[in-house]
Amino acid sequence: MTDTATPVVRASGLTKTYGSFTAIDGIDLSFEENRIYGLLGRNGAGKTTIMQLLTGQIFPDGGRLEVFGREPAEHVDVLSRICFIAESQKYPDSFKPKHVLESAPLFFPHWSQGLADELIDEFRLPLNRPIKKLSRGQLSAVGVIVGLASRAPLTFFDEPYLGLDAVARTTFYDRLLTDYAEHPRTIVLSTHLIDEVSNLLEHIVLVDQGRILIDRDADEVRGSATTVAGTRDAVESFVAGREVIGRDGIGGLASVTFMGALDALQRREAHELGLELAPVSLQQLIVHLTGADLSAEKEVVS
Amino acid sequence: MTTATVPLASSAPSRADRIRRVVRLHLAAPSVFIGIPWLIVGIAFAVSVAIASIITVSGSDTSGMGYSWAVLSPQWYLVAVGVQAVGMTFPFALGFGVTRRDFWIGTSVLFTLLSIANAAAFTILVQLEKVTDHWWTGTYMFDTLWYGAGPWYHDFFSTFALQMFVFFIGAAATTLYMRWRVMGVLMAGVVFVALFLGAGLVVGLMGAWADVWTWMATFTVPGIFAAVLVAALLCAVGGYFVIRRATPRS
Amino acid sequence: MDESRPIFIQIAEQVENDIIEGRLPEESQIPSTNEFAAFHRINPATAGKGVNRLVEDGVIYKKRGIGMFVTTGARDMLVERRRTRFADEFVRPLLTEAAKLGISATQLSDMIRTEGTSP
Repeated sequence: MTDTATPVVRASGLTKTYGSFTAIDGIDLSFEENRIYGLLGRNGAGKTTIMQLLTGQIFPDGGRLEVFGREPAEHVDVLSRICFIAESQKYPDSFKPKHVLESAPLFFPHWSQGLADELIDEFRLPLNRPIKKLSRGQLSAVGVIVGLASRAPLTFFDEPYLGLDAVARTTFYDRLLTDYAEHPRTIVLSTHLIDEVSNLLEHIVLVDQGRILIDRDADEVRGSATTVAGTRDAVESFVAGREVIGRDGIGGLASVTFMGALDALQRREAHELGLELAPVSLQQLIVHLTGADLSAEKEVVS
Repeated sequence: MTTATVPLASSAPSRADRIRRVVRLHLAAPSVFIGIPWLIVGIAFAVSVAIASIITVSGSDTSGMGYSWAVLSPQWYLVAVGVQAVGMTFPFALGFGVTRRDFWIGTSVLFTLLSIANAAAFTILVQLEKVTDHWWTGTYMFDTLWYGAGPWYHDFFSTFALQMFVFFIGAAATTLYMRWRVMGVLMAGVVFVALFLGAGLVVGLMGAWADVWTWMATFTVPGIFAAVLVAALLCAVGGYFVIRRATPRS
Repeated sequence: MDESRPIFIQIAEQVENDIIEGRLPEESQIPSTNEFAAFHRINPATAGKGVNRLVEDGVIYKKRGIGMFVTTGARDMLVERRRTRFADEFVRPLLTEAAKLGISATQLSDMIRTEGTSP
């Protein structure tokens, strides 16, 4: 990152282990102010652990971590600027949504009651039903409302829309964008459902097995891979020397995905060889990059 | 690597404010701390009145109810309240950016305030029961066990100490779990049992059991509850240090 | 949105199309960055990048505190630029495909003439 903007989060060599299992393996990370980040990866890749480290919920076992200039854990000046909406957020058994929403303003100095009220309406959240009896979607709505209305300078949403239907998810995306536009802040969105949110993200961090595979602007990632399909021989000669990240084939036909975009000349060359070029969506790219059989394929290529 | 993250501009809330909001967070749904315990007391009272009238109808004397444990009925539930305060509200509060230390201090302040309030309420109820000649029905609900036997401030102090102990033992045990999971709670249990057995062994080897019994016979109500209060305060102070590295389950 | 290309380029191209096709006349105001973002459900910074690209190309200009407007002459400029790219992007692939199918240049121009006159 050569950007001049000051980072809100800066981590180097950040490590978290559980016994012999290394959940986070010495990652370097930098989040800049007022951008929307996507923390992407498969389930169990380490997304939640990273968020828990960054919000001081758990303690790192190695490396350096600074959030707003210092370690987050136990520093109230840092924590009062953070809102973390956990995927499996626990609420006291006796709580109803109204209790959560009445308490939240005490802890978030930028809380917007107006926005909260509108969102309660739009999500049709039953304020007086015990939290234990809410559906998964309603539970997610509680988190989404707190996360958006908190307007915290650094807001984390961990898989925020589990159980939300299409209408509610659209509401979430729309409200996130409009409120972010009016009140810029740093937002970190973790998800394994990439297609829906990919357009909201300015920067993408792809995590796999506790490491970072991609840390780039979304626009650079989009179109950073290409799929070429055609007869096996033509495809293989075309991709020779390229960084192949996935291959498929049936009979004499092959379809190979490789890193890198093609310029006009190369595209013409591909067409002249009778090859088909297809775009690779962010989701497809990530499936290729984090697929289980990836390493085996890479060996074949190299 | 130089670290030049965005500096903190606005000032953080004062400690008093931070503690006040932890108390308010606990009390957001006040039924747990206030509603349900007093509902339990109410039910116990109704049952006591019913028992007293049955005894009276059968022509017996109700003074035997002076050994009733009904007055302690809410305490079992309040252990669970102490457990819940850490088990559920702590992970929730962390998500709201509360520090572990502020959470523990705020929770301790709440426990102390509730203990004072409950102690005052029970002290008054004991006196009311005496003044009304056991609610005009011969019902012994509050003027039982050690209550009402000494001056009113004995009742106040003993209830306060017991209440503190009940809250903090639940909260401290749960904090051990939050820090070291099941192993932590088990180890603490093992250590306590070992201490008791060790003390018993030492007394036995010294052949001092008779002396111990004589010594225990000199215990007074305030003395016993002073020990209970010390135990509560040990849990409170210990919990403060244990929770500082505690992490909720993910 | 097309998944394969940077969104900011697609935003810029959409505005360019609107200008070329007359939906955004010269000197008319275009939507704000945030309006683009909200409408397309994309990140405002991405929309901003698309808008900035148009500003750099001289297609639109900013009036401080008021908004962004289509530059006079923007349409001619865009049409000129698209024309130079036309051969690359459309004619050459057409010829490649025609060659693959054994369509001669004469047949091809006949087809273009027929297609052009049919409604």
